[in-house]
Amino acid sequence: MLSLPLLKQSIKSNSVMWGSMTGVMTLLCVQFSMLDMTRSMLFTIFYGMMTTILPGIYVLVTSNKLLASQVDRGSMAYVLATPTKRTTVTFTQAFYLVNSLIAMFGILTLAHLACNAAKPITLGELGFMGLQGDLTSKMIMQVNLSALMVCIALAAVCFMFSGIFSSTKYSIGLSGTFIGVSILANMLAMFGNLGVEGLDKFKYLTVCTFYDYNSVLTGGNEWITKMIFPAAIALVAFGLGELVFKKKDLPL
Amino acid sequence: MPDMIKVSNMTKDYGEGKGIFDFDFSVKQGECFGIVGTNGSGKTTTLRHLMGFLKPDSGSCSVMGLDCLKDTKEIMKNVGYVPGEIDFPDVGSGTSFLKIQAEFLGVKDKEYIKKLADMFGLDTDAPLKRMSKGMKQKTALVAAFMAHPKVLLLDEPSTGLDPLMRDTLIELILSEKAHGATILMSSHIFKELDDTADRVLFIENGIQKDIVTKSELCDELPSLYRLGFKSDDDYDSFIRKTHLSVEHESRGNLHIDIAADSSQLGILFGEMSRYDMRYMKFKPFTLERYYTEVFEKGGRKSA
Repeated sequence: MLSLPLLKQSIKSNSVMWGSMTGVMTLLCVQFSMLDMTRSMLFTIFYGMMTTILPGIYVLVTSNKLLASQVDRGSMAYVLATPTKRTTVTFTQAFYLVNSLIAMFGILTLAHLACNAAKPITLGELGFMGLQGDLTSKMIMQVNLSALMVCIALAAVCFMFSGIFSSTKYSIGLSGTFIGVSILANMLAMFGNLGVEGLDKFKYLTVCTFYDYNSVLTGGNEWITKMIFPAAIALVAFGLGELVFKKKDLPL
Repeated sequence: MPDMIKVSNMTKDYGEGKGIFDFDFSVKQGECFGIVGTNGSGKTTTLRHLMGFLKPDSGSCSVMGLDCLKDTKEIMKNVGYVPGEIDFPDVGSGTSFLKIQAEFLGVKDKEYIKKLADMFGLDTDAPLKRMSKGMKQKTALVAAFMAHPKVLLLDEPSTGLDPLMRDTLIELILSEKAHGATILMSSHIFKELDDTADRVLFIENGIQKDIVTKSELCDELPSLYRLGFKSDDDYDSFIRKTHLSVEHESRGNLHIDIAADSSQLGILFGEMSRYDMRYMKFKPFTLERYYTEVFEKGGRKSA
């Protein structure tokens, strides 16, 4: 099912993008959680926007590179000219994509846990006036898990387009539209939450709605049930991408 | 000898007359089979079907008795492929590409990879993106040949190579053939097919025209002889009296081209002995001439 040489190749050719996105996101997190000026906005700005925007850009570029661009440019020929099945190719590439996201959020979580241990913050300071107590390590892990699940769904949809189309033009075009709409609608919905009338309806337009840090911070269980939806979207999208890629004609 | 490659009534219609139509041929084990045709005539499409990249609209193809669509993985264990369009995965240098490729194919013999690279005078440490067309081609060739595959599918393998390297490639192909490899290569450079192929398939606009066997080329078809004369009189007189067919006249150069098969050689030399000759040159009957004859002039009926 898994091709090690292909996995190596994917890690090698996507390391720069992965490294820079992980680096930027982790640095931003450290900045938001350590600097007095920005601490209060750790959730509204960093966890509210950055944890979907930055991985969103990463999955958009990377998922296209994993399949469509290699078919478009012809380099996929070298992979398929070896005893590697098409299903092995899609499985390995999807495996890379999901695990690179897990690693990305893993590093982010570790960095935030360290910062939080060094400089704890109360939920009140974070803008959640009604809540008592500090931001706990458990909360940090849960928030990241919730964000990760949504990013995996974003990745899966981009991956699906990458598997369906043999031309970068269409793969990037549709994935880009999808990521753009998802992130933009999420931001508008956030303004809706902050009190702008009517904008909250945008939450129905985006997968990011299933990422719910409010529920984590208030100690609810909703965020867990909400993870079922992005998980289902991811499964269906990965499945469809794989199915089409397996059957289609490849101009190699 | 069993059929190593078999294409049966295979059609792939891209619309507007593009595609390949009702291709039907087979290649025996240890044979080198050439495909010749103009650009867009279907050479690459044929090879892509054999690689299992494309699904035929009707008909089928197989390699080593295995279906190209269903048993791709099994087939690929024994196939070396040089694609028509070369672009490499984004993995940095040629060395790391070849290393990963060797892993894919389970090739342990690193020495042979180095030997192949040296043979082509290829510096594998160069970054893939900075490579010239020739270097990319050489890298692709090393990748295709490194596992000593039983079947080689080569799509215009000499593109971008200089004439010396082209000869190296021909030697390599011949040595793999001597070791029993079955080779199917497309080309529009006739010389390399002249030197390697046992049989050649001519295609035109997706239609299979003719399969020519090399021995047929050499023996059955007449060869061309160019005769140069010393005087105008001799020149005129020869043309008037000869019993052989004059293919080409050139009064300015005082030479003519005569077509004669092996049974007519006696007549040719007999006639020549009566004149003052400047020279006689033998022009081997090559695929190129056959191609010109059959397709451009429409001389021989298509099969």
